[in-house]
Amino acid sequence: MLIVRPAAQGDAPAIQKLVGEHPAKVTTLSSHSDKLEERIELSCQSFANSTSASAPGRFLFVLENTASGEVVGTAGVDVAAGHGSPFYNYRQDELIHASHQLGIHNRVPVLYLTHELTGKSLLCSFTLAPALRDTEAFKLLSRSRLLFIGVFSALFSEELIVEIQGVQTATGESPFWNSLGRHFFNMDFATADYYSAVKSKTFIAELMPPHPIYVPLLTPEAQAAIGHAHQATEASCQLLYREGFRMGKHIDIFDGGPVLSAWRSHVTSISSMQRKRLRVGSVNAGMRYLACNTQTSGFRCVIAQLTDGLGDVIRVQPQVVEALGLADNDAIVFSPL
Amino acid sequence: MIIRPIETRDLPALYAMATHAGVGVTTLPANEALLAERIARAVDSFAHAREGHPGHYLFVLEDTATGRVAGVCGIDACVGQEDVWYNYRISTTVNACAELAIHQQTPTLYLTNDLTNRTELCSLFLEPDYRHSSNGLLLSKSRLLFLADFPRYFSDKVFAEMRGVSDAQGRSPFWESLGKKFFSMDFSRADYMTGVGSKAFIAELMPKYPIYVPMLAPEAQAALGQVHENTRPALAMLESEGFNFNGFVDIFDGGPVIEAFTNNIRAVGESVRRHAMVVRNKPERPRDDSDPYLLSNRSFSDFRVGLVSGNAIHQDTVYIPAELAEPMQICSGDIVRMVSLRNHRRMQT
Repeated sequence: MLIVRPAAQGDAPAIQKLVGEHPAKVTTLSSHSDKLEERIELSCQSFANSTSASAPGRFLFVLENTASGEVVGTAGVDVAAGHGSPFYNYRQDELIHASHQLGIHNRVPVLYLTHELTGKSLLCSFTLAPALRDTEAFKLLSRSRLLFIGVFSALFSEELIVEIQGVQTATGESPFWNSLGRHFFNMDFATADYYSAVKSKTFIAELMPPHPIYVPLLTPEAQAAIGHAHQATEASCQLLYREGFRMGKHIDIFDGGPVLSAWRSHVTSISSMQRKRLRVGSVNAGMRYLACNTQTSGFRCVIAQLTDGLGDVIRVQPQVVEALGLADNDAIVFSPL
Repeated sequence: MIIRPIETRDLPALYAMATHAGVGVTTLPANEALLAERIARAVDSFAHAREGHPGHYLFVLEDTATGRVAGVCGIDACVGQEDVWYNYRISTTVNACAELAIHQQTPTLYLTNDLTNRTELCSLFLEPDYRHSSNGLLLSKSRLLFLADFPRYFSDKVFAEMRGVSDAQGRSPFWESLGKKFFSMDFSRADYMTGVGSKAFIAELMPKYPIYVPMLAPEAQAALGQVHENTRPALAMLESEGFNFNGFVDIFDGGPVIEAFTNNIRAVGESVRRHAMVVRNKPERPRDDSDPYLLSNRSFSDFRVGLVSGNAIHQDTVYIPAELAEPMQICSGDIVRMVSLRNHRRMQT
């Protein structure tokens, strides 16, 4: 059975492997073991303190195959984007350059460097083993953190955001970076990306030029890349769109990739969530659901077949109850798959 | 050849010069009504000298042999009073991070009104068939004697906008890479609109935020602060008088602004006053190839500049042939101002 659980210290080697195999870049998960262990430690602390609202938590979940004990995916939620530092984006805006006398009315797109997404809860660090990419495991892993947010909603911001990787050429070049960031760093995208991962994104962002950028001065390739997702992120984007996420005005300052956002209470997984008391028993028919417990460090999420009725009690198969670490009469949260 | 203030009757000649000047000599648009207005303003400025007033002075080069007007030059006493005066200032943005060994300097253009209230040398044009002898120098430098004689009507510093790079079709690479992106208009059209008084309107459509130069096309970057090939002699001439690039460029073609303190201008500082002595007999033959001198009659409303031979200058007096003294309205006993046409010190070094 595949279950989602909080990441633990021993998961680091498996996560390193997953990051290496992932087709899209995962800048929020360092492939350096020191940084990764630090990240896992922070996640453990976040789960342990998750009822208090002290330091902004960074939750990291893993997908585990209980049969083999193998870790086959990761997904994260940062309580507050930027973790106390400014979280940088460009906001797409427009200026009207108009003159009646000259018969001119031009809309000029402009990019403003902004911190306004700082502190919003951020979905991040998603990886999945190649073999599982087109299976239900993808939904389980990606949506389990939405259930976690739904269960512990007081910890998270009203608006949820996720950064989608931007367009790259076949050779790994970023046209947006080449037309903008490169001028100020004198380094290629991969190098800047590397520093962004080993230092911090804020550290690099603060080296970016502070003034607004006129989009017409970017190369045509860079302009075309603004707000467009890397094709490797297609499935993730589709899932997020179905959950109610939409592209807004914000893009990544390095590769121009879109930031998707949604109101927490409008996210499909969260709004369709139900909480009932469970009764252990056999389930012969029914729909497939995501099911999770309401614990923090002991958080578990699985796919289960359930028959939902009118009452506030629901029957759950023993192996699901066991996987979730629950017992008769405990609370269970579920949402249609 | 003498320089005199423009007059109302010079309109046809001025219009002809404006049509010959073509794209880039922004202050001479080929628009008859507008040129008539500019002449009227100049006539008024010469008639009523006022301190701190945005006086607009136009001078013409007249061929005294034929009466033909062959060149024009101007001084704007105080720019940016009636509309808004824009330039880009070339500044530097430094991105540094010792830890990552980054020290990146990025030239950055800031839109400014910094030259507001300053005096501008403008509207220089000489008909091609007169581009010989010392006509060009006489035309351009005559203004410097006007500044020397009447400094209170002008700012402490004077500047000149040098025409920027453009190709044979009048296309400016700087414009193509910057201005054009903000409103679909050719450089020649924008330049014309500017000349007919819409510069501020156009400038208001230009980007207000700083422009990072590396984001411009390579040709535009190369054109930044560079002059049009035809403007090189004019640039060299003003440089020899002490003008230097002051870090500002034109917002349309990226041409440089050069500037000098009036006191430091060679033709102002080295100029001297002498009593005039009008001589009716033929002047003595030059004893050597002495360089000509610029000579002004020091009159505000009837300002005249001509050239005399260096041999005509004596201890306290300058001998002026009658055929020059007459059109220059100089009588014996008048105090005139003079300075050598060329910068000899510079030529020696």
